[in-house]
Amino acid sequence: MKKNMLKRSLALAMSSAMVMGALAGCSGSTQPTTEGGTQSSQTSDDKTQNTSSGTSEGGESTSAEGAGIDGWQPFADNVKLQIPVYDRGGEVDVTNNYWTQWVQTNFGDKYNITVEFVAIPRGDVLNAYANLANAQDLPTILMEYDFPKQAQWADDGYLQELDLEKLKTIAPNYYAMMEEQGNLDYTDLNDTTYFALAERPYSQNTYNYVTFYRQDWLDQLGLEYPTTWEDTLKVYAAIKEAGLAEYPAGGTKISGAGVDQNYGYRSNPQDEYEWATTGDYAIPALSTEAQKNLLKRRNELYNLGYFNPDFTQREAADGEADFIAGNAFTYTAYIAPSISVLDSFYETNPDAHLSIAVCPGLIEDTGSDGISTTNAYRPNNNFGMMIGFSALASDDEITAAMMYMEWMLAGEVDGTSALFTMQYGIEGETFEYDENGYPVITNNTEGEYAMANNNKDYWCVAVESKTLGTIEDDIKLNMPVNYPDSDEWYQQILDNYKGMESMVDSGVIQPDCNFAVTLTSVTDNQEALLGLYEEFASKLTVASEDEFDTLYEQFKQEYLDAGYQAIIDERGQAYNDGMTSKMK
Amino acid sequence: MGKGSKEAVAKAKPQVKTSWKKAFKRDWQLYLLLIFPLAMVFIFNYAAYPGLRMVFMNYKVMKGYSGSQWVGMKNFVDLFTGPSSARFLMALKNSIVFNLLDLALGFPMPIILAVMLNELRFPKYKKVTQTILYLPHFLSWAVIGSIALTMFRTNTGLINMTFTSFGWIEQGIPFLTEKFHWAATYLLIGVWQGMGWGSILYLAAITGISGDLYEAAMIDGASRWQRIWHITLPGIRPTIVTLLIMNLGRLMGSNLERLVALDNALVRDFQYQLAVYIYDYGFSGQHYSIGTAANLFQSLVGLAMVLIADRVAKALGETGLL
Repeated sequence: MKKNMLKRSLALAMSSAMVMGALAGCSGSTQPTTEGGTQSSQTSDDKTQNTSSGTSEGGESTSAEGAGIDGWQPFADNVKLQIPVYDRGGEVDVTNNYWTQWVQTNFGDKYNITVEFVAIPRGDVLNAYANLANAQDLPTILMEYDFPKQAQWADDGYLQELDLEKLKTIAPNYYAMMEEQGNLDYTDLNDTTYFALAERPYSQNTYNYVTFYRQDWLDQLGLEYPTTWEDTLKVYAAIKEAGLAEYPAGGTKISGAGVDQNYGYRSNPQDEYEWATTGDYAIPALSTEAQKNLLKRRNELYNLGYFNPDFTQREAADGEADFIAGNAFTYTAYIAPSISVLDSFYETNPDAHLSIAVCPGLIEDTGSDGISTTNAYRPNNNFGMMIGFSALASDDEITAAMMYMEWMLAGEVDGTSALFTMQYGIEGETFEYDENGYPVITNNTEGEYAMANNNKDYWCVAVESKTLGTIEDDIKLNMPVNYPDSDEWYQQILDNYKGMESMVDSGVIQPDCNFAVTLTSVTDNQEALLGLYEEFASKLTVASEDEFDTLYEQFKQEYLDAGYQAIIDERGQAYNDGMTSKMK
Repeated sequence: MGKGSKEAVAKAKPQVKTSWKKAFKRDWQLYLLLIFPLAMVFIFNYAAYPGLRMVFMNYKVMKGYSGSQWVGMKNFVDLFTGPSSARFLMALKNSIVFNLLDLALGFPMPIILAVMLNELRFPKYKKVTQTILYLPHFLSWAVIGSIALTMFRTNTGLINMTFTSFGWIEQGIPFLTEKFHWAATYLLIGVWQGMGWGSILYLAAITGISGDLYEAAMIDGASRWQRIWHITLPGIRPTIVTLLIMNLGRLMGSNLERLVALDNALVRDFQYQLAVYIYDYGFSGQHYSIGTAANLFQSLVGLAMVLIADRVAKALGETGLL
């Protein structure tokens, strides 16, 4: 009898638990991720309150409309603010760590706002936002660097119109920054205002994206870092012959947005119509002569045995592993006080000598293959992060988002700038002041105060890089320090900056065209074309020299038919209608 | 047995009449336990069905079902004539060809394996062999993909490095980077992964064959091969037919995980199958309606194949599936 009772109870408990479990998976409600000690939990009641406060008239619950930070008052009802943050796959939980809790304590709690961070995988931004939109759970703001992505979101109805007057009232410093940087020119799409734009210092100059190369190898071979195609081939041949690297040109998968940028292969000066229709970096312009030449050069490297033949089976991490293992000639990265690949590299190769490639100014080169190139690069947009506001957000939530942006740019905590603390951390823990009074990061990658990606994915809402106002100071602030060759790098980075400045002055550096209208052909075809490009570019890389041209013509036509011609036509129409930016 | 005798047997059976209430009172625990699988089936197999109406819409996430525009059959027409039609048709062709090849290679292998295992007489050896053969089924495709990459990379894969070091080959075999080599690798990995697990049903069917038949055949002097041919295989024929019909239903299907795990940009001519098209173009490219239309098309053809195969099997005197 007892046994039967037990059986019955178990059956009842199991079936109830399983059914409840299954049904719970279908629930549309979401709970916040684990909260910090100072952070209050968001209950369903809170959610209801948020909704009602957002729709309430007369702004009863909104006490934050005063001019600037000094005029802000806490919300009467708690407001949930959801901020996206890139998850780059590091060890720090980007949605819950010391710094998210610090924001909650010093900003959220003060104004009765629950700040919730939403992780967006860096390599899958569009899908991540699409999934959130599908679940009707978009974060309060949507952030992206690329204009086309924001344009797509605006077109798909993810965004609501931005009231610039409201931004000016709640976040006067932020608005003033936009005005000062000339970013008010980029707020509109299809005659509707959607975007607030963060500051990007040195937007035309990409001095902070550097190439480290094996100076010790070049010294051993008696060669200089190459600046022409013929010299590049000589260096590769010498490296291979000396057995320093089997594949001196490296080689990983040819995939993803921004792959195979052809700026150096374009004519100088560029044709403005061609620049507007095929000159962006997001969708490779396979049908252009510039792209053909880029691919032809890679094909040559492959056929000469300098390019890793397993490239289609190698991820970017494999390239980094090669460099760390001492089997690669170069490594390219954004400068930061600490770069994990360099940490590992010097551990593995303590006697190695790394230099940073310096741009000597404009170089125009024609190789023996007849292909003309320059060392032009892709400049950034005038602005940093583009910020759109969710169509699902209430008035109060938008207000809270604007407060957050203003606080991150101009807020203070205990007499110190909030932005400074987010960028550098805590004196004695994550940074020290050097003899010149510069803050120098000492340890921001480990321990309680660890910063994922130097906390940049939080403070990018205000500014794109740390800056003290002069390039010399900024290089000292941002450059990799405490490495065996660090002493040489300051001058090399500065020289590189100056070389790039002279290129900007020469007019060869042109930012991508921006469109004031939505391009449906881009949103319709971008993903499919990126997939096709990976396939075609890979096949063209491994083609024999004889079959390259025939194969290229075949792929070019397929690429155009698969949607690239539609993109060219729509962009061309926008250009002819005067709905695009112009070349400088 | 004549018609009259059938009626007699039916009449002789005890007529147990029971009400729903009584049945429930007696077996309520069983009905309670059934709620879970029924809920799962309802939620995951039927609850999403109303969402299928997006195949007749230009579905936009933020507009939802109520705000998205109705477009009739346009999505189906676009599959065959729209901007992505070349890719869709390629995916369709590849799916059919590779599923047929999978069927031709992968379907007989579990049968052969089951017959071979059945003939093994040393129990421990048989059990160990079976366990080893079942194991690949429990590996995820991500793990299999990683193993395949380590084993079959053109220049740095274990197989090619071994062959090269022994001087058997001068250049690495492009197992994963040349489309015909890839096709063979893809198919054989599929067979390796599935044949052990697939043999379980046949082994179970074989155990259902009466031992008397084998005994009689042995007394009559039948060889092992003759016993297999005349007793074992006819004994598991209904199982073979049922599984064949079910496999034919998957003729249009494809396993995204398997294709992604073994993906390579140089073999898209073969690797690009319907699952990839639906994921890449439909999901990643956010053409949800077209992706759903492709999936529905795939399912309907699969259903048609099952129905046709079932009719053919019945026409040939087999029991069939439905």
